[in-house]
Amino acid sequence: MAKTILTVDDSPSIRQMVSFTLKGAGYSVTEAVDGQDGLDKARAGNFNLIFTDQNMPRLDGLSLIKQLRGLPQYRSVPILMLTTESSDTMKSQGRAAGATGWLVKPFDPQKLLEVVRKVIG
Amino acid sequence: MQQRFEEVLAPNLYYDRNFDMDAVKILPGEYYVSTRELLMVTVLGSCVGACIRDRISGIGGINHFMLPDDKRDEDSRFGRSMRYGDYAMEILINQLLKLGARRAHLEAKVFGGGNVLPGFKNHVVGERNARFVMDYLATEGVPVVAKDLLGNHPRKVYFFPATGRVLVKKLRSLHNDTIIERELSYSETLRQSRVEGDVELFS
Repeated sequence: MAKTILTVDDSPSIRQMVSFTLKGAGYSVTEAVDGQDGLDKARAGNFNLIFTDQNMPRLDGLSLIKQLRGLPQYRSVPILMLTTESSDTMKSQGRAAGATGWLVKPFDPQKLLEVVRKVIG
Repeated sequence: MQQRFEEVLAPNLYYDRNFDMDAVKILPGEYYVSTRELLMVTVLGSCVGACIRDRISGIGGINHFMLPDDKRDEDSRFGRSMRYGDYAMEILINQLLKLGARRAHLEAKVFGGGNVLPGFKNHVVGERNARFVMDYLATEGVPVVAKDLLGNHPRKVYFFPATGRVLVKKLRSLHNDTIIERELSYSETLRQSRVEGDVELFS
């Protein structure tokens, strides 16, 4: 059965691009339009991996990660930030919030897939 | 290893005597955002500039970019060029959201994409940039309330984000090649740069 990935981003262009890349590699992908939508969908599902943007309406990426890490089913699931933010300060905050890794946009689809394979196979 | 190219916040702030207000000059590869009354000025040749603002709060910003010319992916929607364009637009929108703009209140005015670079092959550069910015904003659901794209002349754009007003001056005669040289230099930098972000896995 295909591994499941939730991608959380307020930009439809980015969601399309991430979904296209991941679906092409055989993963099952669910999209969420902001942090709150991501949290709701994560609670309702049981994803193997979550990608999240940082700057989003309602709930930002770091807050989403903190909330997800408080849920028993997402305590150890890989959560990757995929964002335009590239400062070391933000990366440190991501790490402290419980992010598994940090990918800076624009992303290379091949590198994205390499990371996905590394963290969930 | 190739250097990564990043869009940067325009550093050129000055006082504009004609308009009697603070202003900022945006060069290729730069953007600017502000919550206050500020004039944003840029000169576009084949590059495009998007003036985006929250129509309720008046928080606004502008960018100035072109797609990297990459024959490997042509105009594939998910190719290197388009991914770079997405990034150039997203970084502007993200900065607006950080200042308090609401995504649902955003509107855009877009300019540029002229046929101004020398050379037979370059006639499509502006058209490609113009098509990209319109497609991107349509996908993002940001309404384009005014546009002045394509044509054969560079444009000087004055954007007043607080009101949304834009003045466009078509530069029918150029005193020097500065605009073209800047765009060619930007295009070459993009061509030689890595336009993918870093990846870091935390141990």
